[in-house]
Amino acid sequence: MANLDPAVRKETGYIACWTGALSLVMEAVFLILGKWDLSVLLGNLSGAAVAVGNFFLMARTVSLAVEGGKPDEAARRVKASASIRLLAVGALCALLVGVLKTNVYATLIPLLFPRIGILFRPAIDRKRDAESSETEGSDLID
Amino acid sequence: MELAMGIMLGLLGLGAGCAMIAGIGPGIGEGNAVAAACEAIGRQPECKSSVTSTLIMGCAIAETTGLYGLIVAILLIFVAPGMFTGILKDAVTSMKG
Repeated sequence: MANLDPAVRKETGYIACWTGALSLVMEAVFLILGKWDLSVLLGNLSGAAVAVGNFFLMARTVSLAVEGGKPDEAARRVKASASIRLLAVGALCALLVGVLKTNVYATLIPLLFPRIGILFRPAIDRKRDAESSETEGSDLID
Repeated sequence: MELAMGIMLGLLGLGAGCAMIAGIGPGIGEGNAVAAACEAIGRQPECKSSVTSTLIMGCAIAETTGLYGLIVAILLIFVAPGMFTGILKDAVTSMKG
């Protein structure tokens, strides 16, 4: 864990923040609709954990594959990782929904939260760049 | 009624299997992207951090396609049977009535 790529740590943190925020929104929606119960909370927590864990493993695999430097080996490693992770996510979701009887929608919807976070990434980056360039500009004027 | 139920459940299972075909594409796409990124980093090692960061986000986007298929498959297995059984029972009851 100590030799984790800073990019992996940063992106996983960003995705975890978005997943947490959107999970809260989803809980609020279930509360407003009057369909909230413990299975929703459990499903949401476990679905969010699966989504963030899947993203972290993907980022770690990609980072390790890139560090290896051999394109063919990297491609093979990432292909194998993608297949195994998809099967693992499917098995975990089936276990949660089928055995632990969590709410199906509350378990499955958090899997899509990382994608929503990535959707807003360019806008946030653009805003941050604009703010930093403004700060640099004011420093130059001073 | 039992035959119709059996056919319906079989078709739902078949549909779930077909939905999981979507899981093949992301792996191939991610592999190609990572191979290209390795070559790019080999040419310009100073861009490694920005390439890795963009690559991770790109792979996450590619992976979502497979997750859509997975979600559809799980819904077909766990949610659809209950829904369609109700519809089938209503149809049979209305036919008898």
